[in-house]
Amino acid sequence: MNYGFRTLHPLVLVTYYITAVIAITINRHPLFLFFTILLLIIFNWSIDKGKTLKSWFRFLLLFALLLFLINPLVNHRGQHILFYLFNNPVTLEAVVQGLINGFTFLAVMLLFITFPLIVHSEKFLFLFSKVFPKWGLVAMLAVRFVPLFRIRLQEMVAVQRTQGINIARGTMRQRLKNGIKLVQMLLTWSLEDGIETADSMAARGYGIQKRSQYNPYQMHAEDIFSLLFMAGLSVITISGAWLGDGVFVRSPVVELVFLYGWEWLFFAIHCLLVGFPLIVTAKEEAQWLYWKQKM
Amino acid sequence: MALLETKNVTFTYPNEKKPALQNISLTVNRGEFLVIAGPSGSGKSTLLRLLKQEIAPVGELSGEILYNGKPLHTIDRIKTTKEIGMIFQDPENQLVMDRVLDELIFGMENLGMDTLQMRKKVAEFAHFFGIHSLLNKPIHELSGGQKQLVNLASVLLMEPTLLLLDEPTAQLDPVAAKDFLHMVDMINKEFGIAIIMVEHHLDHVLPLCDRMIVIEQGKISLEGNPRHIIETIQKHEQSHFHYYLPNIARLFLTYQEEKSTCSVPLTVREGREWIQQLSVLPIDEPQIEHRNDSQRPFIEVKNIVFQYDKNGEKILDHLNLSIHEGEFLAIVGANGTGKSTLLKVIAGLESPIKGKVLYQGRKLKGPQPGVVHYLPQNPKLLFIHDTIREELEALVERQKGNDPRERLQEMLQFFNVEDFLDRHPFDISGGELQKLAIIMVLLTDARVLLLDEPTKGLDPEMKHRLGKLLQQLQKRGMTIIMVTHDLEFAAAYSSRCAMMFQGTVTAISDSQDFFRGNTFYTTAINRITRNTNVPEVTTLEEARRVWKLAKNH
Repeated sequence: MNYGFRTLHPLVLVTYYITAVIAITINRHPLFLFFTILLLIIFNWSIDKGKTLKSWFRFLLLFALLLFLINPLVNHRGQHILFYLFNNPVTLEAVVQGLINGFTFLAVMLLFITFPLIVHSEKFLFLFSKVFPKWGLVAMLAVRFVPLFRIRLQEMVAVQRTQGINIARGTMRQRLKNGIKLVQMLLTWSLEDGIETADSMAARGYGIQKRSQYNPYQMHAEDIFSLLFMAGLSVITISGAWLGDGVFVRSPVVELVFLYGWEWLFFAIHCLLVGFPLIVTAKEEAQWLYWKQKM
Repeated sequence: MALLETKNVTFTYPNEKKPALQNISLTVNRGEFLVIAGPSGSGKSTLLRLLKQEIAPVGELSGEILYNGKPLHTIDRIKTTKEIGMIFQDPENQLVMDRVLDELIFGMENLGMDTLQMRKKVAEFAHFFGIHSLLNKPIHELSGGQKQLVNLASVLLMEPTLLLLDEPTAQLDPVAAKDFLHMVDMINKEFGIAIIMVEHHLDHVLPLCDRMIVIEQGKISLEGNPRHIIETIQKHEQSHFHYYLPNIARLFLTYQEEKSTCSVPLTVREGREWIQQLSVLPIDEPQIEHRNDSQRPFIEVKNIVFQYDKNGEKILDHLNLSIHEGEFLAIVGANGTGKSTLLKVIAGLESPIKGKVLYQGRKLKGPQPGVVHYLPQNPKLLFIHDTIREELEALVERQKGNDPRERLQEMLQFFNVEDFLDRHPFDISGGELQKLAIIMVLLTDARVLLLDEPTKGLDPEMKHRLGKLLQQLQKRGMTIIMVTHDLEFAAAYSSRCAMMFQGTVTAISDSQDFFRGNTFYTTAINRITRNTNVPEVTTLEEARRVWKLAKNH
């Protein structure tokens, strides 16, 4: 796919990710987050028909569920006691907080997994190598690191089983010990590989002087418009949070999940901001359709 | 004036008593092709890295490294980065960007070349390397050989005058390795780029290079042109160094009639010319007794289908294979034909979508520690402790009952790795780690041994010792299945060979017959002796068995 959102200027793309993360983290309201997740799933789908999402989905769901469950078990503050579990009160406030935690994690991750698909390493270096060459390098290594880590962990667990080390069996203590050893080794390994990649970058002169550019990225009118659009929306979002409209109040009383008054405006703006890539892609899709009909 | 010169270079890593390199003096002329060989851990890679100062190891360095007559460290960084290029062993780790085109231009962009110049050069090089169809592909979709070609192209685009290659073909299959070497040769001959290459496998490299250096324990022990070195090795009877020589040369040294009538053959063509002069009488070999095929096979692989993804291609496609007890089976074939996956299925690490694996008629469910031992392609996967000593200690402790400590000591000595016990597993060279991984799977007697590329990174002498050891184990009744790219190794030590293609076994037969039928997947000695006046053989050992020199023509 070589149209739509990802053809915009790299600065626009990175700005989107930054503003979207800000919007998600300040609008911590179940309804906001729920629609954010829906929009981001559609965004994922529009990029590669959900291929990347599928490979992550189980892990993300599991972790989000864990986050959702852990809060009511650990946090007992709140006035509305739902029931008692092992003599500990489970409160409505804690459950809602858990839900928000799980949703926030899911939303941020859904956004994050699209990043390497949209901002290729080359675009990333274009933006950051001039200003922060060292950070550019670290970020490049980190991006490589994530998928490798997952593949290797699986491989390592499997191979260790042939040696009689099974982290799914044995006493809890033993399992934990072996598990920690495995992850520790994996980290060392990834760092070691990272050094090799860094060597390869240094060997080819990364950071010795100002980089030139093979793809001359230029700011077009739509890039500038997009930047202004996002800037405007995020200003409204931030001021909304300041007024307390996107924030879900949990104490002293649990607020209703449904929105009222001004909140609907902030909700709409939040959706516009998070769903911005979809707007761009849909617009271009419509243009193609129109162009084809004209022929 | 030499392009590069080192004068009495001695280098010691921090916290080490013994220097990694001692008094290394060598010169490289413009356009020269130099090969550095030597046992693993002898300091070859260290030397190479010292010549590339952007990534030079930290430590104590004495002596001088001159580039174009000037000390290397006084030369402008931009100039040295551009002019001295380097390719590493692992095709994967040295890739930085996520698309092929971006990877190619990475170095040029760092050097600040202007857009127009870059575009022109990319167009030119993509065509030269035959990778223009790959330019917009995500880099992780490429095969190992393609990745290494991309790495090479990316460095060449920076227009180096000297190229340093650190075992660049160690991870590639034989066809990809040959393609890569062919490209290196072309670069050397057509652009006059000087090359220093560290390499164990001399068979394909020696005919290409101008000069060769052998480094042992940090010192240069031999230097000269290939033929000269071969002759010196023969004269000095340095028997352990014999294994480094290409097989064609070893055959020549064994059967050459009168000395110095003919120079040492290095290529198959030269070998065939020489063999015409030889007159050999065949000795009738006693027929090897064939195992009783009516007996039930020890391992049966039945109609296995395996794929990672519903819409993806089938990695294994209705594969059938039966293996008898006490057999040493080698599985060969190009990268991506499913060899490693098959081994994982037999090890119980992956469960097939269709079909089953039977051990003595019983269906395999999951790994069988203590019975089936598996050496993964990447030896790092076996290590989870901070030092090698701890790892081995934990392994010994896991063996309930008999105490394998004595055996362990023997093995450490056999593989010559006693000095590394207190190091972190990732702190030693790839060859050393491979040896330790082999020790880990061989320490206790398993009934089945599954080896994925056991010879990777091993120097020729160690390979020979490993081969002998495996044969001994086989004689004691162990069943060995090995996946390998190393055809010479498979031909010399395995008892049966299978070829995989597109997820199935397309050919399987006794090793000797197997290689005789192949054009490419065969040994150099087989190619020399095929359709000649001498009896066809595949290995030197076979020639020793069945050839008898006639006194005179």
